[in-house]
Amino acid sequence: MFEATGINQQNDQTQKRFKMLFGVMMVILIIPVIIIIGTLIYKGGPSISWSFIFDHPTNGMTQGGIFPALFGTVWLVVVSLLASVPLGVAAAIYLSEYAPDNLLTRLINLATINLAGVPSIVHALFGVGAFVVFFRFGTSILAASLTLAIMTLPVVIVSSWEALQSVPRSFREACWNMGATRWQTIWNVVLPNAYTGILTGVILQVSRAAGETAPIMFTGAAMFLPFLPNSVFDQTMALALHLFVVATQVPDVPESLPFGVALVLVGIVLIMNFFAIWIRMRLRGKKKW
Amino acid sequence: MMTQSPSSGTQTPPELAIQTRDLNLWYGTFQALFDVNLNIKKGIITSLIGPSGCGKSTFLRSVDRINERLGYVRIKGSIEVYNQNVYAPSVELAQLRKQVGMVFQRPNPLPISIRENILFGYRIHNEKGGRIAKSEAEGIVEDALRQVLLWDQMKDRLDNKATVGLSLEEMQKLCIARLLPVKPTILLMDEPCSALDPKGTAAVEELIWELRGRYSILIVTHNMAQARRASEECIFMLMGRVVEHSPTEKLFVTPVHQETADYIEGRYG
Repeated sequence: MFEATGINQQNDQTQKRFKMLFGVMMVILIIPVIIIIGTLIYKGGPSISWSFIFDHPTNGMTQGGIFPALFGTVWLVVVSLLASVPLGVAAAIYLSEYAPDNLLTRLINLATINLAGVPSIVHALFGVGAFVVFFRFGTSILAASLTLAIMTLPVVIVSSWEALQSVPRSFREACWNMGATRWQTIWNVVLPNAYTGILTGVILQVSRAAGETAPIMFTGAAMFLPFLPNSVFDQTMALALHLFVVATQVPDVPESLPFGVALVLVGIVLIMNFFAIWIRMRLRGKKKW
Repeated sequence: MMTQSPSSGTQTPPELAIQTRDLNLWYGTFQALFDVNLNIKKGIITSLIGPSGCGKSTFLRSVDRINERLGYVRIKGSIEVYNQNVYAPSVELAQLRKQVGMVFQRPNPLPISIRENILFGYRIHNEKGGRIAKSEAEGIVEDALRQVLLWDQMKDRLDNKATVGLSLEEMQKLCIARLLPVKPTILLMDEPCSALDPKGTAAVEELIWELRGRYSILIVTHNMAQARRASEECIFMLMGRVVEHSPTEKLFVTPVHQETADYIEGRYG
């Protein structure tokens, strides 16, 4: 009575074929990641040491460490965050909590999302025009950081907006109905419940800002500097650009050096991403409403 | 407190909490209320019944002007609370909403402690930037929880989060308690029991009955039996118009209009 008939077997076959297809796709996707990280650890791992991280490059960047580049990357990321986070979060709050739902708001939302897709080299050229030349910051940490900030801003806005929107509307209604102003509602109820989400978005942008080369190449990052920068108006070295330079521009570099630099860069990015995932998991566990 | 107009000196008719004059309301181009004229008395429970989409909730939400958040709502006519038009330009929304509290269909406690939920409204209306002396705060919390019959269950867990570990009934009572510290006189309830089980419904109804007299209560309900047992006057609405407004007993036993009779007999809705 319940035996499979021809049509069942046929359906079963199709189902198995699709399962296989999706499985293979997944493997194809994951193989490059494993190969990249494996190669980096295999070839770059031996060059990682305390002195590699804390020494200056020597002998025309063919030996020594990467400290100035690491230091510069931290500088660039921190300064760009100081610019992009307050601006982006404020814009997201306006779009999510204050802006009326009309055509203009929707256009701005759409434009913001599309801005996230602009190639980084375009941002770089904008940075040269705006910050280096027009505002006369010269090629400096400030100009490069602001360029990175402009590049990361759209995603900061979009992810903050999503975090704000994920706070249930019923909380807002409860507040409004008690006579709270929008700001009282935002400060007391919306932000305390959205900040972990906002933080996750910001951290993912940190890893992106740390890894970008194009936007800083023309605006503030130098191939080689004998000294560490003293202020935001100095140029600096940066990991991403350093990797590009030692991999392609400098002759006679031992093979393990660029792999070591890449490993440090990928390591920083991965650590930041795992940190973001960890925050998100903690948030999921805690949020019960 | 809103100013009393001098013309309301006559003693004989019962005092009114809410009065509407030719109230028409549109959502964009859709008209949701037609010429609503209602006199809702002070200190009693008035229920608002009618099929889905008849304008009950719309009316409720226009009394404390929360409808305006939608942005595309237009209103003609007036709603007066204690003889003052709440749509007059001089009306401060925060003051109006202090006077008129709203309870929602789904209990919506804020994701903060039980204590802070109750103090929230008090804090935002407090001139000292929300700072309250500890003894004062304790008094406010106890008084509000006693009024909603929750004090005994809640007194030992005031610092627990209000969104976790409370039954829906307790949450809904908490949402009522949260309104009380700012001393409202009118409570609007939008199907306050529809998310609750029968036991919770009974408990919340009992509470509403308990609050009668101290507050004027306007309660929207889908449940005709509830309107019948838990209100003193009843308003029947249909397609955005008020069909009948009379003492609950009378409306259910000897309705004047055929539509009312059909609705309470369950022919539609």
